[in-house]
Amino acid sequence: MKHVQVKKLVLLSSVATVVAIGMMVLAILAPRPLILVLAMSVGQGIAILSLALFLLAIVLDLQAGGAAYEAALEANREAVDDDRP
Amino acid sequence: MPIQSTEQLLRAVAVASAAAALIIILWYLIRRPPLGRLTKALLLMGLGVFPAVVSLTGNIAGFEYTLSRPFCGSCHVMGPYLRDAEDPKSTSLASIHSHNLKFGENSCYNCHADYKMFGAITTKLNGMRHLFMYITEYANTGPDGEGGPLIKLYKRHDLETHKITEAQFNSQMNGMCMQCHSTYAAVWVEKHGDFADDVRGSKQLCIDCHDNIHPLALSRRAGAAAAKEGSR
Repeated sequence: MKHVQVKKLVLLSSVATVVAIGMMVLAILAPRPLILVLAMSVGQGIAILSLALFLLAIVLDLQAGGAAYEAALEANREAVDDDRP
Repeated sequence: MPIQSTEQLLRAVAVASAAAALIIILWYLIRRPPLGRLTKALLLMGLGVFPAVVSLTGNIAGFEYTLSRPFCGSCHVMGPYLRDAEDPKSTSLASIHSHNLKFGENSCYNCHADYKMFGAITTKLNGMRHLFMYITEYANTGPDGEGGPLIKLYKRHDLETHKITEAQFNSQMNGMCMQCHSTYAAVWVEKHGDFADDVRGSKQLCIDCHDNIHPLALSRRAGAAAAKEGSR
């Protein structure tokens, strides 16, 4: 169960970081007052939140003894076994 | 385009870091690899380290840009002020100072910023008020801000609303000029000798005599007096 949570958190963190970086890059390439203020407040807020989510995911994964990694490896092995004639 | 200033260097670093972060994140989103050590380390770079670099360098570059004249002129209300400042034939104080090689590119900030210890912070907080006023009162005004309320000069507005005393106001006004004009140069003393001490003590304002600052300011344009009466 935990490894599903971990994967979802990492996915959410990745998408949020893309949004945050998009806002910050927009402020660098087209520095208008409102865009700059939004990038420096909302953009950076999202970036901090997404990093916190990622760190939370890592902590959860470590608590489960790397369960997400093991589960993914197991699924990978099974898929390879199924493909064999 | 070659990098010619620290601001441009910071921008380049920020964009390169953003690209690196996006490559890592897109790799993860497309491939969805198992969360092994290597993946975690790469994601830490893509979700933590590179975005932190973008944020830091972007902040500094962004702050530097907010000091520049093009930034101040990016709100349409500032159009006439900007055009006058950039006009080589203009004899206004704004224009003369804008052509100064040392700080001409940041002339708006250099003359309007608070110059005390936390001047940069109070100036930027005031800038937030400017942005709020722009969005709420000037956004739909004419090409040069016509139709909007008269722009309130915040230090004078603070004086009129008794937030600062007249002595503080005078000190801030003359302090701005005296950052560069020491009032002790021989030519200056020759011209201002009779009242030099009054200027130094902020009893006499520089702008009382040198009043051709922004000739195209909203308050000096046709119809401004009527607008002021109407707003009372």
